[in-house]
Amino acid sequence: MSFHCIVCIKQVPHPGHFSKINLDPVTGAIRRAGIPSVLNPLDKNVIEEALCIRERFSGKVTAITMGPPQAREVLEEAYALGADEGVLLCDLTLAGADSLATAYTLAKGIQKIGKYDLVLCGNESIDGATQQVGPQLAELLGIPHVTHVVEVNWLNEREAVVKRAIEYGYLKVKVKMPAVMTVVKSINTCRLPSVLDIMGAAGKEVQKWGCCDINGATECVGLPGSPTRVIGIVQVESKRKREMLKGSEEEMAKSAVKRLREYGVI
Amino acid sequence: MDFTFSRPHEMLRSMVREYAEKEVAPKWESYAQEGDEFPCETLSRCGQLGLIGLLVPKKYGGSEMGYLARMIAIEEISKVYAGLGANLRGWSLVPHLLTTAGTEEQKEKYLPALCRGEIQGSIATTEATSGSDFGAWPVEVTTDGNDYIINCRKVMISRSTVSDVFGILVKGEKGYSTFLIEKNMPGVQTGHREKLISCTSRNSPTGDLVITNCRVSKDYLVGPEGKGIGIALSTIGGAGRTGGAGVCLGIAEASFDIALKYSKERIIYGKPLHDLQSIKFMLGDMATRIECAKFLSYSVSWMQDQGRKSAELNKETAMAKLYASETAMSNTLKAIEILGGYGTAPEFGLIPRLKSALDMIAAAGSNNTLRRNIGDAVVA
Repeated sequence: MSFHCIVCIKQVPHPGHFSKINLDPVTGAIRRAGIPSVLNPLDKNVIEEALCIRERFSGKVTAITMGPPQAREVLEEAYALGADEGVLLCDLTLAGADSLATAYTLAKGIQKIGKYDLVLCGNESIDGATQQVGPQLAELLGIPHVTHVVEVNWLNEREAVVKRAIEYGYLKVKVKMPAVMTVVKSINTCRLPSVLDIMGAAGKEVQKWGCCDINGATECVGLPGSPTRVIGIVQVESKRKREMLKGSEEEMAKSAVKRLREYGVI
Repeated sequence: MDFTFSRPHEMLRSMVREYAEKEVAPKWESYAQEGDEFPCETLSRCGQLGLIGLLVPKKYGGSEMGYLARMIAIEEISKVYAGLGANLRGWSLVPHLLTTAGTEEQKEKYLPALCRGEIQGSIATTEATSGSDFGAWPVEVTTDGNDYIINCRKVMISRSTVSDVFGILVKGEKGYSTFLIEKNMPGVQTGHREKLISCTSRNSPTGDLVITNCRVSKDYLVGPEGKGIGIALSTIGGAGRTGGAGVCLGIAEASFDIALKYSKERIIYGKPLHDLQSIKFMLGDMATRIECAKFLSYSVSWMQDQGRKSAELNKETAMAKLYASETAMSNTLKAIEILGGYGTAPEFGLIPRLKSALDMIAAAGSNNTLRRNIGDAVVA
């Protein structure tokens, strides 16, 4: 039996240029002009996990992403790392999607791809960081999901015990395939592509599908399909009260404790 | 004119940067320590990633991605640790020599292992008594029937104690010839190890190669007998100098980044340090020099990728290495000045970069030799 793993990946602004990103005060949209784009860093771990599963069970890895034409670049990176096939969901009608419309579009794309055993996503993207797409995708596909995955122990090709991070510990859950898993960075260490891998990835064919190709309902994709509305943007200002304490170290420590108690901090 | 990098070049840069930051950065101080134990893991890892065979055809184990790719790889590694960048430059010289002038048998025998990083090679041309003054070299090779007998002492040979094969240039009765010599051949010895500024580090064993009555057959001759100078200089210029430019570019950029970061974080007179006009002038000069060095280095690599022969690009390769080398020196010194008292503190990493910049003044043709070459070309 061969195992088909679909990895959902995303092109995001380069983290090194985050300080240059600003928001449109009217629409609330992120202004990305002039900011280079990269593969969401966590998605490398997603691809790595899929490659490990392929090495274990054989089969194939399909990478899927939604975005503008240049989002093809992240599929090339997936190819370089070892993905077998790439799908780009690209259409003007898909623009402006929130997490729900994104999950809907990805679900439609995945359904068009056909049979699959596992859908792997990053727990969050470095830009939006909603953590919503994975669970929403699972709901739309009608399959179980596990989030914050740090370890997968396969019982067989149809079943795995998954360790997921929760506050103050871990939770182990048994999940049957097909399922959606969203992984965190500590799940694995990513491999690097070789020069030949990179050269092989360039120009490799990518399936490009628009809204019609995936039988998407226009009211469910892009801006019309996005119930999330940005109603305001607030610039967070950090204001700190500063107070210099005087005296010996012991006196200053006692004063600090006293003042912190007065402020109700301790 | 289109100055954009291709997508594979961008992906290569990203991959090499990740390798350098994740795998080299945590260990570079260990590599730079004094000692004899060469860090072989860097050789095998660079081979595994395909960074050694960038100029070698796929049929011999390389990728043939080209000179610009090699420039990018050396530059990115040198930003983190110039010592490894210099080795990556050196590791591709014998492969370049064999690719451009070797026989089919030599290519099949050596190139796959060299590209994989299973063995390493060095170029050995500098003659002990008269260096680059070829005319003053003594006769180093004679013929005996179908064999050659080699006697020579080559000095300042990078990785002399750890290389498995040496591409040597020797003077004979029919002029200068290039041979490939294996370290285990009878009569081949490594001699004195230099104690220069960075040559004592375990990463950079540099010293003499002494060859005494070493008998080799024609199978070890690289290219036609008597044509050795052109063959060796093609590799030294086409791959050695451009590689040196890449190393220097990495040093210059890293020094600038360190200075810029410090000047943003250091508050003086209530403002970031870079608000002082004198500091801003220095940062401006450093950035401008980097862009000039990049242009010279990338453009000559691009010309090589378009099929221009190394012999046609002597002036351009010399300009790239000369300017990048002086930029590396200038930028490290300016960065030290900007950091003030912290400029020589180990945690900022400027002194190792200054040492590497000093090394590069002499590597692959000293800067004054390059000036003379450029001058010869422009007055011709």
